[in-house]
Parts: sequence; structure tokens; C-alpha cells
Amino acid sequence: MNKILRTLIPFDIAKGLAITGKHFAKVFFTANRRKVRYHIVSEYPEVVAKIQPRFRGRLTLLKDEQGEIKCVCCLACEKICPTQVITIEKGKKEGRKMPFPVRYDFEMERCIFCEFCVESCGFDSIILNHQFELAAYNREDFSLGMEGLGQNMFEPSPVGKFSVADD
Amino acid sequence: MPIPTLTQSVVITLIQCLLVVIFVFVVVPLTVFAERKVLGHIQQRLGSTRVASGHIGVTGWMNRGMWKWGRIPILSYWRGIPGLVADVLKLILKEDIIPAKADKFVFFIAPAISMVSAVVVFAAISFVPGTFFTFPTWFPYLGGLPVSGGIADINVGLLWILGVASVGVYGIVLAGWASNSKYPLLGGLRSAAQMVSYEVPLAMSLLAPVVLTGSLNFGDMSARMATGLPAWGLAPQILGFLIYLTCGFAETNRLPFDMPEAENELVAGFHTEYSGMKFGFFYLAEYINMTVVSALAAGFFLGGPWLLPFGLQGLLNPYLPSLLSWFGQPHAIFFVAKIIFLLFTYIWVRGTIPRYRYDQVMSVAWKYLIPMALFNLLLAALVRCFAV
Repeated sequence: MNKILRTLIPFDIAKGLAITGKHFAKVFFTANRRKVRYHIVSEYPEVVAKIQPRFRGRLTLLKDEQGEIKCVCCLACEKICPTQVITIEKGKKEGRKMPFPVRYDFEMERCIFCEFCVESCGFDSIILNHQFELAAYNREDFSLGMEGLGQNMFEPSPVGKFSVADD
Repeated sequence: MPIPTLTQSVVITLIQCLLVVIFVFVVVPLTVFAERKVLGHIQQRLGSTRVASGHIGVTGWMNRGMWKWGRIPILSYWRGIPGLVADVLKLILKEDIIPAKADKFVFFIAPAISMVSAVVVFAAISFVPGTFFTFPTWFPYLGGLPVSGGIADINVGLLWILGVASVGVYGIVLAGWASNSKYPLLGGLRSAAQMVSYEVPLAMSLLAPVVLTGSLNFGDMSARMATGLPAWGLAPQILGFLIYLTCGFAETNRLPFDMPEAENELVAGFHTEYSGMKFGFFYLAEYINMTVVSALAAGFFLGGPWLLPFGLQGLLNPYLPSLLSWFGQPHAIFFVAKIIFLLFTYIWVRGTIPRYRYDQVMSVAWKYLIPMALFNLLLAALVRCFAV
């Protein structure tokens, strides 16, 4: 009897309609407001995407307060890298006791962004930054080294000109 | 009031047709747009907000412009509108493929049948009783002549509407058959069974207004349903409205009765083999059918051009203060507002209820809706017998 009544009188449908109607009204009336908004999508190219702190972006070499490279060429990152995208060449520098990386090459095209290198580093000298717009038109642009304009290991890669996130 | 000559009345009728066609072709694209937006909002998305996905070139320029204009509150809801132009252009410019083994003539005629049967129903729908507007006297040739609220508010309007609307099944079945392919055929057969089944409770739920008003004329019926019923008339109206709306969803092949084009079972159902503007005609016909069903529901059950639904207007009118008498009068704007609300309901229900299984669809029609429609008819007959 209860079942027949529930079939005849559409309570469940009314309940569902109330739920979806509530969602619709909330999104409809808050779609414009930056602070109080109910929709869960971001409008990415126009609005800068919000990134979680644990996001794993591109590998970056860090410098200390004096502007010295923190890396001491222990080669831990090079050894642990599963795809072997890091190549380090040891060297010496005047007035520095620790070894100094003459070359620190990073081939991003094969990198899987696993963060093993950062975990293995005992000197906190490398991090994965928060950059994700890493597309490029040429294969050469994925080979990063210590030299180069913009395309080096210290600064974030230049964002492709097809993005409007900087505007 | 001057009496129009034959040519003048023909010209006036043509103007009415033009107005109705403009109404339809304004409402239908907006419904398509609203479908994207409303479904998006229901799922906590924003719906369509850009043209294509370009960041460069013309579309990129348009996207950036729409983003800038969207900061003004009301304009932000319309950001996806230029995408409609792109959609229509795509439909028109796309290659029109006819399968090699298809029955060429039937394949060609099927979209036309469903389109025509959808549009022609509007002939018998009157948007407002009496005169819609009168041409001013300075108007050339037609000065001082009245334009009535419907194209042809004929005495057998309901018969005409039901008869022509049921021809629409032919469009779908013939499309499924002429494609000479498995999925369209299955879709066409399903839709034939479904639409024939739902035609019965649909017609029966419309019989209740016929019994209550004793007329088949659309304008007459909507006027009497809105203003000429006693309080007892509420019960058969509300029940009849629910039955009619359910059958209307099924008749227009909308979710949750989306059998003919069950996407995950039948590719795209009856229009799998169609492309280009032929597919566009099916698409248009679906949305025009939605508008027609909404117009009928608004006219018969929601009070038509009067403000209040379910005959409440007739109960309220004697107590209406003279200051608010504008709300007691019929206006085309109320009718259009009701149509738009019902179109929103279509999308709302689509975003809420999942599709029924095929046997469930059939059992809803035969086991529940037809007995309920008969019961509703009995209620209407009792109201007619004792209360009117």
C-alpha cells in the first residue's frame, strides 16, 4: 500500500527537484560574486588557477641568501631519478669549500614529476615549483640548464603566449 | 471597427504567422542555451561561457571580451550566447551525408514531417483572447484593423492539435526506417511504441478540460478553465496537469523518457545517420515540440493568459481591488511567462531524474497514468455534473 502510494504521489521526484532546484538557485545567484560563490569550477585562462601547496611543478634550483647555489653535487637526485633526467657535473669554485655544480641539466620532456629528487636531497637545494603551464613549441625548450634566458633552472619557465593568465 | 476585406485578412494572417515564427525562433535557441546553463548550474558548474576554446584569433578576442563584459552582474549569464551562432553555423555548413543504402526519399522527407507537425500546431493556439493589438490608423493598408491573439482559433482546435501532433511520430519512425541501420531502427520502433502508449493518457488528461468547459476551441477552453470554474474544479485541474506534464515529457522524447535516442544504448537513436541541417531539423522539432506542449499545458491548466493557474483567477477576480485590475485581465505576457517557466521545468526535470528502463516506461503509461487519467476524467465529470 505504501509502495503504491509512493508511486502514485511523486514524493521522491519532488524531493529530487527540490535538491536540484536549490543547487540551481544557489549557483544562479552567486555566479558573479568572487567572495561567496557556490560553483566549483574555475574559469582558468581568465582567472589564475588556484594551486594546492603540495602541487608538483617544474624542478627548480634554489640559491641561499648570499646568492650562492645551495647544491653541493652529492648526486643523490641524479641517482634516484627513475627516468634519469638530471645530469650534474661536479666542479670547484673560488672561496667555496663544498663542490659546486658546473652543469646541472634537466630534461623536462621525460620528467614524471615524482618529487623523488626533492625528497632525496639532504641540503634542501631543489624544489618542485608550482608552475604547470609548461607547454612549449620546440623540443629544445624542454632541456633546461644553468644558463639561458628565462629557460634556466632558477626561474620559472616563460608561459606560452597562448595563455592569458598574466593579463 | 472596420471589417477587413479578404486580401487584408490574408495579410493580417501572414503577419500573425510571422509573429508566431519569430516567437518560436526566439524561444527555441534561448531554450537550447538555457538548457546548457541550467544543467550546468544544477551540477554546480557555470554552463557555457565561451565560444569554441580559442585563446587566439577571433574566438579568443570574443572570449576575452565576454569575460570583461561578464563582470557586470546581469551580463555574465549571457556569456555563452555567441556559442549559439557557432552552433547554428556548424549545423548549416556541415556536410549532409546520405547513407548509400538509405531510402533516399523517405530519408529526405522524415525531418520535414517532424518539423512541420511541430510548427503547424501553433496555428490553433491563441495567445490572448480577443484582440492582440490594433494597427494604428496611419498604418498603410491595414490602418485601424485588429489582429486577433491566435492565427486560427478554430472550433475543433484541440482535435487539430492532437491530430497534427501525433503525425510527428511518423517523422521519427520513418527516419529510423529509412536510415537502413540497426540503431536508428531500434530507436524508431521504441519511439513508436512509447509515443503511441503515451498518446492515450495525454488525450485523456486533455479530455478533462473538454468535459469541464464543453468546448474544443483553444481560446474558449483556456478562458473558461481560468475564470469560469467553481472551487471544486481545482482537483481535476491539478491532477490533470501532472498527468499531462508527464505524458508531455514522454511525447517530446525528453528525459526521463529518453527512449528513442538513448545515448548509451543506441548511439543517438533515430537520428544516428543524420547530419548537417537534417539533424538540425530534428533538433529544432524537439524544442518546438517542447514549446507546443508547454503552451498547451499553460493554456489548459495554468490559466493561459490569466495570471493565476488552475482556475484560481476566476475565484479571485470578484475580490480583486480595482487598483489591481490589470492583473485580472488576460495578457499575452503571462502566457509567454508560463511557457518559459514550463520550458525551465523541462530542463529542471532533465537535470534531476535519470532515465527509466524501457519496461518501466511502458508500465508507467499503462498501469498508472491511464487509470489515473480515467479517475481524473471521472472527477471532472462529477464537477461538471454537480458544480457547474
